[in-house]
Amino acid sequence: MKAVSGKTSLHLILISVILASLLLGACAKATEEPASSETTPGGNSFSGLKLVAPAPYDPPIEMHSVINVDATVKFLDGTDIQNNVWTRAYAELLGIRLSYDWVVDSSMYNQKLSLSVNSGDIPDMFRVTADQFLLYQEAGLLADLTAAYENEASPQTRDIMTQDPIALKSAMVDGKLYGLPLTDASVAYASVLWVRQDWLDQLGLPAPVSMADFQEISRRFMQDDPDGNGVADTIGLCVSKSIWNSSYNLQGYFNGYHAYPTAWFERDGTVVYGSVQPEMRDALLALQKMYASGELDQEFGVKDVNAVNETVAQGKCGMEFGVWWNPYHPLSLSQQNNPTAFWSAFPIPSIDATPAKSQYNSAIGSYLVIRNGYEHPEALIRMANFWTDNLVGSQDEAVRNTLLGDLDAPDVVLYKYTPIQLWEPNAPIKAGNALREALAKHDPSGLDLEAQWRYRIIQAYFEQGVLEAWVEVATNGPNGASAILQQILDDRGLMNRFYGPPTPTMATKFPALQSMESEMIIKVIMGDPISKFDEFVEDWYRLGGTEITAEVNQWAVNNP
Amino acid sequence: MKRKEKQPLLKQSHLPLILLGAVMALFGLASALVWSISSSQAMRGLITAGQLRTRIAAFESTGGLITGIAFFVLFLWCIVLSRHGARAAFIVGIFASFAPILTARAEPLLFDTLHLQLPAGSVVAGALATLVFALPMTIFFIILASSPRVPRNCRWVSLAAILIVLGTAFFPILVTVFAFLIKPGDPAVGRMMEVGSQVIKLRYILPGICLLLLAFFSQRFQARRVTGEASQTSTTQGVTQ
Repeated sequence: MKAVSGKTSLHLILISVILASLLLGACAKATEEPASSETTPGGNSFSGLKLVAPAPYDPPIEMHSVINVDATVKFLDGTDIQNNVWTRAYAELLGIRLSYDWVVDSSMYNQKLSLSVNSGDIPDMFRVTADQFLLYQEAGLLADLTAAYENEASPQTRDIMTQDPIALKSAMVDGKLYGLPLTDASVAYASVLWVRQDWLDQLGLPAPVSMADFQEISRRFMQDDPDGNGVADTIGLCVSKSIWNSSYNLQGYFNGYHAYPTAWFERDGTVVYGSVQPEMRDALLALQKMYASGELDQEFGVKDVNAVNETVAQGKCGMEFGVWWNPYHPLSLSQQNNPTAFWSAFPIPSIDATPAKSQYNSAIGSYLVIRNGYEHPEALIRMANFWTDNLVGSQDEAVRNTLLGDLDAPDVVLYKYTPIQLWEPNAPIKAGNALREALAKHDPSGLDLEAQWRYRIIQAYFEQGVLEAWVEVATNGPNGASAILQQILDDRGLMNRFYGPPTPTMATKFPALQSMESEMIIKVIMGDPISKFDEFVEDWYRLGGTEITAEVNQWAVNNP
Repeated sequence: MKRKEKQPLLKQSHLPLILLGAVMALFGLASALVWSISSSQAMRGLITAGQLRTRIAAFESTGGLITGIAFFVLFLWCIVLSRHGARAAFIVGIFASFAPILTARAEPLLFDTLHLQLPAGSVVAGALATLVFALPMTIFFIILASSPRVPRNCRWVSLAAILIVLGTAFFPILVTVFAFLIKPGDPAVGRMMEVGSQVIKLRYILPGICLLLLAFFSQRFQARRVTGEASQTSTTQGVTQ
């Protein structure tokens, strides 16, 4: 009897196991259902959240503003640009009733703002470009924020402002602060060299250190059929016709020759324009040679970024100069047809023993300003503090989900409802360093939520062989691209010396000069004689370059 | 209904089963060690991602081939020495021999030979190699667990082994699919990935230990039966006398 009972129970358990196995997927799906959060973005209370905010204005103050909202910005049910989580947060937590007098698409914003200001209908708080900033300040339309900033700015806000050395400087006129610069990571726009690491390994080539290494790799990538299809269809260096783009650009290549096209930099005590300097000549000749040998796409002069993306997706591209986040896009496309594709980032190789410097521009392109005469200029600083203290200084998951958006509605990006967005300039470097430290220690506990996720992804690559995770490894992993950003920030970068609004001659003549410049570069690479460059230099100075250089130097004297 | 007499898994010697379990566990252990050491070096930046992959590929290619052949020979030996349900189980189990061989070759097979274009290609390739191991092994253990001739302890071990094989094989894949395709960025999935990266190391070790346990219990059953038969014989002889 006992034996029969044991046998029966064994069968029952066995059946249960099989049923459980069959239901595994469903069970797993059930456990993945999101838990409801304590405070939802659509709710009316922030009481459940750990938020940093000063005592609200009592009675609440009114603030009129204007904003651009693209068609892609989505709202949760029952919310709109006038009534959303940010307007409620400002009202309930800061006592600032923010309303927008008008809302337009981004493409229309500057035009609408000009009309509005010219007609005397000036918002209390609004965003301006660098040239608008100068124009309105000179017209006396902007409030002096110096005292408000000194008295109200939180340590977190001050830290962000000082991370970019030109942030506050660019918003000051005669030592007074007239705007709050909208910060971002300037160094993130510096170029690095991206190389198909799997091709390097396959051909047994060393990492590129010098431009000679680079040229050798380019040649071998073109000649040695690294994709193994038996057809000579691979390209050494991918370039698009938009030669100063964030991907497939050429400034990285020029930087290897210590040439800095489109950038202003100091040389022998004066500020000079990089595109007309003699270093450009050697780089152009080298590129011309690469093109003639087939290492560059023979049609690059007519291929836009999308067309080059296709080349990358087909697995025909071996190298490119681009920014540190290129693996997220467009280089991730290379895995469409080749799951083993892996790109590695390298500092820009140098033509000689002097390390090459990557050029980049200031990311500060716009400012938040307060109308002169508005009673509470400090309100802007408090709103900025609210952003920095709660979203930059804190990693509280509930707060971030509430104010930024969460995975349950990934297409609803909540922070786009506010014009006050101050991104940390050193964020990519800090995040990358923290991540690499955690990886070395095998301990992600000190990381914020986003970094912890990246840690898991990198771990999946290294410990489970999930090749799709290469994007994160290449950007934030050991020896990843964000580590190169630190070097660029330290001593291997060159920031455009000119970060002000366009000078008078620049505003009228520079676009034509820039167009002439790109055209000349592409034509010389594709076979025009190098004398075209010399002609361009002469024309550039003759057609306004001399005046522009003088104006830029005058600006540099005023903005040391 | 006639009650079927329980029998040890193998006639005569359990050596092939012991060797099979040991080889499986050792391959798993070696694989886990190579992955752990190499990934640790890569995560500290001591070797590049490319060097890591070259090292892993070399191990899985050579080690996988040797292990796969060893599995095949040992399963074959077990088939020869087994009867009834156990033999059926070993016949199914022999298909798991292809898994270690396939581990390093799944990606070239799918993408270079068959020219498939799939999202999350390496996950699919990993899943294929896992399936080739997990499916025969799961059926192997199901047959043993449900076979009335198999000693009871062996059936309990087999029952537990079904869960182990399924868990170690599919949990990491499930988590990876969630992480990369269904819920990227979800912190809960991130924590599961941490577990998944540890679980994956047990993929061969635990089933190997289960085989060793099977061998142990089967051998003990055999020993007891021999002792029982001997005492029964002596008792019968005594009664006869």
